[in-house]
Amino acid sequence: MAKSNWWSCEESRKWDAGQKKLTRRGVLLGAGFCLASWAGSKSALAELKVSKGQKNKPHDVLVYVFLRGGADGLNIVAPYAEDSYYRQRPNLSIAKPTDKGTNASGRLLDLDGFFGLHPSLGPLLPFYHGGSLAVLHACGSQDTTRSHFQAMAAVERGLAAEGPGPASGWLARHLTSTEQESDSPLRSIAFGGILPDSLRGAANTVALESIGDFKLNALESQHERFEKRLQELYKDPSEEVGRAGQETLAVLESLRKIHPEQYKPEHGAVYPTSDLGNGLRQTACLIRANLGLEVAALDRTGWDTHFAQGSTVGILPLALDDLGRSLAAFATDLGSEMNHVTVVVMTEFGRRLAENSSLGTDHGRASFMFVMGGGTNGAKVYAKWPGIEEHQLDETGDLRVTTDYRDVLAEVLQNRMRNDVPQETFPSYRGKPLGVVRSL
Amino acid sequence: MSEVSRRECLRVGLLGGAVVTTAGCAKIANHFASDRRPVTLPASNVEEPSRIVQRLTFGPRPGDVSAMSTMGKDAYVTAMLKPGDDEDMRLRFLLNRLDVFQMDPYETQDLPENEVIRQLQQAAILRAAYGKHQLRERMVDFWTNHFNIYGRKGLAAFRKAADETNVIRKHALGSFPQMLHASSRSSAMLIFLDNQSNIAGHPNENYAREIMELHTLGVHGGYTQKDVQEVARCFTGWTIERRFLRHRWSVIFDETKHDDGSKTVLGHRIPAGLGEKDAEAVLNILTNHPSTARNLATKICANFLGSDSSKWTDRVAETYLRTHGDIAEMLRPMLLSKDLIESPPILKRPFDYVVSAIRALDAETDGGLEVQKHLSDMGEPLYQWPMPDGYPTKTTAWTGTMLPRWNFAVAMTNNTMRGTGVDWNQIGKDANAVTLFERTHGRRPSMQDQVLVNQVTDELRLGKDRYADAGFLCLAAPSFQWR
Repeated sequence: MAKSNWWSCEESRKWDAGQKKLTRRGVLLGAGFCLASWAGSKSALAELKVSKGQKNKPHDVLVYVFLRGGADGLNIVAPYAEDSYYRQRPNLSIAKPTDKGTNASGRLLDLDGFFGLHPSLGPLLPFYHGGSLAVLHACGSQDTTRSHFQAMAAVERGLAAEGPGPASGWLARHLTSTEQESDSPLRSIAFGGILPDSLRGAANTVALESIGDFKLNALESQHERFEKRLQELYKDPSEEVGRAGQETLAVLESLRKIHPEQYKPEHGAVYPTSDLGNGLRQTACLIRANLGLEVAALDRTGWDTHFAQGSTVGILPLALDDLGRSLAAFATDLGSEMNHVTVVVMTEFGRRLAENSSLGTDHGRASFMFVMGGGTNGAKVYAKWPGIEEHQLDETGDLRVTTDYRDVLAEVLQNRMRNDVPQETFPSYRGKPLGVVRSL
Repeated sequence: MSEVSRRECLRVGLLGGAVVTTAGCAKIANHFASDRRPVTLPASNVEEPSRIVQRLTFGPRPGDVSAMSTMGKDAYVTAMLKPGDDEDMRLRFLLNRLDVFQMDPYETQDLPENEVIRQLQQAAILRAAYGKHQLRERMVDFWTNHFNIYGRKGLAAFRKAADETNVIRKHALGSFPQMLHASSRSSAMLIFLDNQSNIAGHPNENYAREIMELHTLGVHGGYTQKDVQEVARCFTGWTIERRFLRHRWSVIFDETKHDDGSKTVLGHRIPAGLGEKDAEAVLNILTNHPSTARNLATKICANFLGSDSSKWTDRVAETYLRTHGDIAEMLRPMLLSKDLIESPPILKRPFDYVVSAIRALDAETDGGLEVQKHLSDMGEPLYQWPMPDGYPTKTTAWTGTMLPRWNFAVAMTNNTMRGTGVDWNQIGKDANAVTLFERTHGRRPSMQDQVLVNQVTDELRLGKDRYADAGFLCLAAPSFQWR
């Protein structure tokens, strides 16, 4: 590895200068490597440029952040203009943006005169007002079991509700229907040890904690020999483990050419040291490295706030602080590269309007979504708002779903990911265009 | 044993893999020891004694497969289904050093949470690796996931040792209704699923939902949201004892917090005024329900037969209902069946993978932090799955984690993992490619194993210091990922 570290920023600039008339990607690649103080061998870079990430038509990188546990949309994007919100949540509700009796850090951040963002999400407000963040509300699936597992399975499989239908994940099907021969072995990545259901059945997917750790820790005298022998052992693609091993070896080959541990975020971005912050930081690194990454899936757990959810202090505000700072750092770091990135944030269901006796909320129905990126028609809350007066809620007292989550996902696939057959990803579903993201 | 006869034994694979003595095997062994011309290996890679040991244990240790053959299938399975409480001195010694299993739960509060979780994992790894009664250890893993408790929620970790001893381990091959009853009185479960805040007028549905969806009926078991609400009402008032000064953390029934009105659960009316008997009534309804029989049968069959287990589901469910949930009786016919031998291979989850490697190489391990770190890298840090459904069993959930498996194999065979050691001098005594294969795989190599056997032969030809490298290849190979 040390051998390939010789390449300095100076060299990078020279190389970059020679390339930039050719492709935009070349420019980004060169600049990224230089400013981020990365080092890699020249030949490796040249090779990456021609062989990886050069799809016939460029598309976005989709970053899918799943909030596991049922995130409380009603406190994250609170309908502060509704009296019922304050009546039903005497302890948990958050003061209106205009409430002068409460200090600023305890008030909602106004979005459109009706909805307010949780104050712990302050870092996202500039992106919202800048037009690169869209907020959606009253979204969800048709799942009525209110079971985490049923609802997550429905969403990750891309179904209306859990039941008959493809067993693979929606991201896996998207990757399959947009497959090309030139695909990178690192088309998709999941941070966290376990592959999420949304990527189940996807080829060229790896689940890992940190890209820096993605190497075979053998002795120097063993390393090359072991990898060669593994290549011989893992050569049966018809067997699940054989295929998985092949893909892993191909990714090792790709990652040998970059040095993620030296990655320095740009534009003064500071990522939280949380799992989500680290995951997004590494996603940014991979995007910059131009290895042909198409989909990154990240999980953030801790939203199942039956207990001690809190209003502005508690479990939910802490989780939101992490979410807001992580996403803001990611967008700040990537800067103009966000023009080719779309981030979707969602959860399996929202929570009941009425708070419970433990300063928490129980499982509900509709919740919120975020869409973020250069192609987003932001600065707007997209909601066919069903209302939260008693007669407007469903029979259990939950916010009704008026926007199918697949409307959002299908539009992102079609407009940003060059997926011309979203019906393969979401079978027996007709999407209704929302206009949340622009066409490429 | 004289020098000459011992060497003879080695050549035919008795000491290494200790599988079967055949002339053919000896020929293969000699062959691989000398050159690399292709040889004909058996076509099938399933051997009955090996498969039985693979499915009923955390992988064969040297000698296990031949011991099973000697004993006979019936006697072996029968003995496995009736485990005693005896364990080897060494395991008892290692376990005795773990405070969390010696102290009262509330006393363990003096320890940091990470230390408690470390000790819990340590015990699990040690018992799986060295426990005498392996089928019970397998079932403990099964039920630990079935009644999964996330150690990092609400001090649940501090209560988990008691849950493991009194709920999981005690009933692992016993009575399911008794296990469920014990679980409903486990403070770890109560805290994990929020029942301490389930009180009259303000029910918390968490436990009510999961006891039906996961522990008993299954998600398609025929209950409704209304049933969830009614069951939650039945469990109101069950909470953790609060004493002045020091809590003892026992689960108690607080009648002042109980909703004592009448309820209807799955069509059964539970009259008003039963008090703490409400919970009993719910447990009876659930444990006698055919959906519970079916749900448990489906999971248990898949655990032993893999993806092709549906034809056993009805039979095992029927046994559940007939025997009132006798777990050993549910298992017996399935474990003795031809289907166990012929069923498709099952991918080892990381815990399986790690423990089977320790057992195959007869490694010394303390089950400590370093092994635990590898488990975490592979995606299965024990007691840390945050959802109540337990670690996934589907193959596709684990195929993204090949590299950490290889890295565990590297660390293990290079002896770079603190607290874990392999005695290559012992293993290397006259070992050859076939005996190394047999030791790790518990069976003779077949045609599909040719590449691996060739590679191992290659390594061994290069010298004695290559035993570890040859061992790495055996553990890292695709064939070692399945059981």
